[in-house]
Amino acid sequence: MNKTKKKWAVSSAAIVIALSLAACGGGNKKSASSNDSGKAKLSAVYKNPDKANKSANEKSTLKVAEPNDSPFKGVSEPTLADNQEDSNVFEPGGSGTLFKTDDNYKIVDGGLADQKLDRKKNTVTITIRKNAKWSDGQPVVARDVEYPYEIIGGPKSTSSQYSSDFERIKGMADFHKGKADTISGFTYPDGEDGKKVVIQYNSLSPSMKFSGNSFVWSTAAPYHYYKGIPIDKLAASDQVRKKPIFVGPYKLDKLVDGESTSWSPNKYYWGKAPKIKHVTINVVSSNSIDKAIQTKKYDFTTPAGVMRGQSYKNLKKLKNYQMVGLPALSYNYFGFNVGEYDTELQKNVMDKNSKMANKSLRQAMMYAIDEDAINKKFGNGIKWRAKTLIPPVFDKYADTSAKGFPYDRKKANKLLDDAGYKKKGKWRTQPNGKPLVIHFGAMQGSATSHATYEDYLQRWHKVGLNVKMAGGKEMEMNSFYDTIQKPKQNKVDIYSAAWSTSSEPTPTQLYGEDAPFNMGHFVSKKNTQLMNDMNSEKAWNDSYRKDKFKEWQEYMNDQAAYVASDNSYQWGPVNKRVKGYDVSPSHTIDFWKDLSLTSAKLK
Amino acid sequence: MWKTILRRILIMIPEIILLSILVFLLAKAMPGDPFTGSINPRSSAAQIQHLKELNGLYDPWYQQYWNWIVHLFHGDLGQSYQYHEAVSNLIGERAINTLWLSAFTMVLTYLIALPLGLYAGKHEGKLPDTVIRVYTYVTYCIPFFVILVIGLWIFGYVLNWFPTTGSVAPTAKGLGMLSSRFFHILLPGLLGALFGTVNIVQYMRSEVIDAKRSDYVRTARSKGVPEKDIYRHHIFRNSLLPIAAFGGYSITGLLNGSIFTETIFSYPGMGMLFIDSINYRDYTVITALVLLFGVMNLLGTLLSDIILGIVDPRIRIE
Repeated sequence: MNKTKKKWAVSSAAIVIALSLAACGGGNKKSASSNDSGKAKLSAVYKNPDKANKSANEKSTLKVAEPNDSPFKGVSEPTLADNQEDSNVFEPGGSGTLFKTDDNYKIVDGGLADQKLDRKKNTVTITIRKNAKWSDGQPVVARDVEYPYEIIGGPKSTSSQYSSDFERIKGMADFHKGKADTISGFTYPDGEDGKKVVIQYNSLSPSMKFSGNSFVWSTAAPYHYYKGIPIDKLAASDQVRKKPIFVGPYKLDKLVDGESTSWSPNKYYWGKAPKIKHVTINVVSSNSIDKAIQTKKYDFTTPAGVMRGQSYKNLKKLKNYQMVGLPALSYNYFGFNVGEYDTELQKNVMDKNSKMANKSLRQAMMYAIDEDAINKKFGNGIKWRAKTLIPPVFDKYADTSAKGFPYDRKKANKLLDDAGYKKKGKWRTQPNGKPLVIHFGAMQGSATSHATYEDYLQRWHKVGLNVKMAGGKEMEMNSFYDTIQKPKQNKVDIYSAAWSTSSEPTPTQLYGEDAPFNMGHFVSKKNTQLMNDMNSEKAWNDSYRKDKFKEWQEYMNDQAAYVASDNSYQWGPVNKRVKGYDVSPSHTIDFWKDLSLTSAKLK
Repeated sequence: MWKTILRRILIMIPEIILLSILVFLLAKAMPGDPFTGSINPRSSAAQIQHLKELNGLYDPWYQQYWNWIVHLFHGDLGQSYQYHEAVSNLIGERAINTLWLSAFTMVLTYLIALPLGLYAGKHEGKLPDTVIRVYTYVTYCIPFFVILVIGLWIFGYVLNWFPTTGSVAPTAKGLGMLSSRFFHILLPGLLGALFGTVNIVQYMRSEVIDAKRSDYVRTARSKGVPEKDIYRHHIFRNSLLPIAAFGGYSITGLLNGSIFTETIFSYPGMGMLFIDSINYRDYTVITALVLLFGVMNLLGTLLSDIILGIVDPRIRIE
């Protein structure tokens, strides 16, 4: 649960490449709509009735596993790390997280710093709490809040996290292009070593109220410690890799490259001192994580660590462990190729004559497949059919009344018949009489993903659609993205992929007109309008914003150019000697500090 | 002898150049690049382009190759895209881990396999020979990863005798670190050795059987040399010849690492680094590693020829 970090991932069912960013924060205390058959109901909190044991807290070590098949990369600085495992193993250090949030990821007072938006002046004021210090004893100052923007936006920066959204900050574009040495939009009322930063924006967005938005970076970086290291060399420096300093409840005692980190309380921590005196995090192969938990080697897995559905099946009845989880900030989805990316205009352009341009064809394909059956068989209770493109963890924004595309072969056939896709022999033809062959692109994954793709094909065949695997088989991950990321391609007509969303759900970066990740190139006036409305002036009103999100979800389901296929839990096992385990979003910043142990040995 | 070595080294130069071109082109020929699928959707298209330009990915291949070679001669293998660290540091860290494990496994393998081979050859056709042969074939037949998983499960998880993950305990310090490191390679090393003896045992056995029937052994026997001495001085030494050459070559394999062992024991080594670099299209790491493996192989064949020349004067080339 990395607070400030937001992870955007592109993944297939099993191959998950975690990509980047700020805060895949916690989740939600409430579980998602519960009418899905066979679905587990997990809570984000483990309420341990036992009393904490003082001597266990002081002498015993909290052992945490990071389930991962590769060594972690070792980049401790959130602005430069672009994978989830790095943020997981450095989490007890607090990752420089600035803000506390409520359960809807809305920024509230009480974190390392508070944020105030001034809509008249278009400024964001960040005030650091007075007693905030880095683990080397130096105070956290205004410059530390600004420095991440320099690391991300520097002309020579190697960070992949820069986006044009940051250019709403006055002077950021010039700084990024190397035309200015500083970002003029940052001012320090009490000086660089003060506690206050004012950021001047061209305009504010309602999304700025939420952690993980794309305008305000939500971590601090120790400027006094990084000073003097060129930004392009920062990721390779000892300050980032070998001896990082932190602002959270724990400080790093030892780092073993790629395999483990160990921690002890940070005496300069601004909040209440953590109770447990020793914490270790070890990388454990996902092949043996189940055995490691079953033999009580670890207290829990990192809250944002990737745990497979098969593990849930193996561990759910394990004595002395409680399964804890919340709906994940991610979903699998289908995308239809309906256009191209115009590299000159830097915009997606829809082609009304493309093979998949017909809405009825797209809808029919979605009604023809049975996600409920697939998830019942392979979901292990922690995966279920998605209803909309907003994951249910955003219970304020996700449209819980939406039905999505439940299996309905009759409806699929009718839609195709009505739209003129007539059957000639075994297969349907295009309305103009030409043969119709549809290419389905998907990534290699587990045995179950292979079976899932087979099931899709068979069901599409049953409604008379001649769908084939693009390239004859599932693709290797790089080939897959290499194919669909081409500005114009005709090898894949429909594809299956996945996104992890930020803790602020605005979907513009994924489905917007100029989004390079709108890989199916769906564009419409209404789509653009609805997404703009989500963050327009009126959207400062929460209920208006909520309505627009709902309207957008309805519209996207109707258009069916992108359709979410399934949602799942982000979950993990917790040993019953652990007390205070709570991964709800409002508790993210306090997660490590509030843990304690009820016995010296694992139960 | 020296001339031969020098000549061999000179021949290696064009071989390495050719290898470097091939390695470079093949790495670039893979679909995708280090930024495929791994860019944050918030990056604007311009930023993606910017990062690719910054890394020279749009330059023509010969220019990219030339830059790479020039840096290589300056001892700079480049920066890993995935790890954001100098490739030489990265390889250095992993190579130490891999070296520990493979050297330990190799020594153990020889310690187990040589006496077994000798014993089997000595008792050719008898029960001990059969038992040893069955052992080698059975261990040869079981896929190694199965052994690793079962071994880890029984000795690591069920019996709790060995550590199950990593190369060293997270909190070990000072001398304790050394013993912790050794403790961590014990189980994978033992499994590797116990289940990797087949080649050496079979070599040794057949060499011993050959030597047993040779004229010099018959002569020694007829002169009344005790059987113990015949085995120690005549048979064992002569049988070691091919093994010595083989050993010279396997030294070069020490750096290759084992993907299975490293994945199952979460032991960060060269094997996993190589596979990950391919999956992530981490060009700088791929090319550096393949080149390193290639050079090690060339050196390995040279080394094994030299060893053979030293231990067997009959084939020494002057």
